Amino acid sequence: MAMTIKAEKREKSGRSGLTGLRTEGYVPAVVYGYKLESVPVAIREKDLMMTLRDEGRNAVFQLEVDGKKVNAVLHDYQTDVMKGEFKHADFLAIDMNTEMEAEVNVSLIGDDVAPGIKEGGVLSQPFWTVNISAKPSDMPESLEVDVSEMAVGDTLTVGDIKSKWGVDVTDEDDKVLATITAPRVEQAEDDAEEGAADPEAGADAEAGGGADEAPKETE
Amino acid sequence: MLMPKRVKHRRVHRGKMRGETKGGGTVNFGEYGLQAIEAGWITNRQIESARIAMTRYMKRGGKVWIKIFPHKPYTKKPLEVRMGSGKGAVEGWVAVVKPGRVMFEIAGVSEEVAREALRLASHKLPVKSKFVKREEIGGESNEG
Repeated sequence: MAMTIKAEKREKSGRSGLTGLRTEGYVPAVVYGYKLESVPVAIREKDLMMTLRDEGRNAVFQLEVDGKKVNAVLHDYQTDVMKGEFKHADFLAIDMNTEMEAEVNVSLIGDDVAPGIKEGGVLSQPFWTVNISAKPSDMPESLEVDVSEMAVGDTLTVGDIKSKWGVDVTDEDDKVLATITAPRVEQAEDDAEEGAADPEAGADAEAGGGADEAPKETE
Repeated sequence: MLMPKRVKHRRVHRGKMRGETKGGGTVNFGEYGLQAIEAGWITNRQIESARIAMTRYMKRGGKVWIKIFPHKPYTKKPLEVRMGSGKGAVEGWVAVVKPGRVMFEIAGVSEEVAREALRLASHKLPVKSKFVKREEIGGESNEG
């Protein structure tokens, strides 16, 4: 069953009020959605982090607002770019019987045995999430993509793999999830570039600094 | 070396570097990144030098993304010239970096290789920086 997080109704607003809340270990948040007007709340950051760690990003949890329990998901959030702490969170109250769209993480498995990688190819993952539509209770925490049979030059798209997942993927079929490219032969190029760059730098210094190839000014 | 193709104004004011980065603070393309923890100007030569250090260490594997671009021209007056008589000539190009900015990203290599490559790159830069991983909310700390 979904975990319960206690949310206290928030009276404080404005920068100083919210900063005060954050220093006390709370995250200012707002709950809105199914059968609910927008309610500003504050929840303990520790509770939120623990729940997300245990249940995943798309977990459904019960928010207890004013003694009333609401099923909600984390809809949006803002974090501090340096500390990684939550600054604000948006919770979307949901109906458990209605399908919802969510971004689910994609993880690659079998990369250590893929023949393409053994040959020296580079595995790249252009997209790290896919959008799926499912009932909240059926929402997977993450989806796996098996790359163990990929060779150099192979590409795996959503269309190739979505039947295996058994979920309704709303992304285009040609969205690339994994590709193995041939190894770079840039080492030699780099060295050549460097060799060419150094005398250039010397010439610039001699000439008293180089804005020779300065871009054109356009008005 | 990185440089704009054309500019609207040939010379610009120096500007201020207050606060934290407004965008580009998360690892978006690769798995690992190098995040600035102080503000500074990074020249196109430093960016190129960092790129070479990374690609050389990673040899043929992996992919590197450079997420900063030197949009800003900086000027310098010639030596032994009295003050006045207008602004100096454009000397080079810099990227303005504020704390939190993820400057480089790497994918396709192990964490140890990425750490070492980004450490080598960080020694080419004039700002303090730290190793970060792709953010997983509620997961382990993304700092390294």
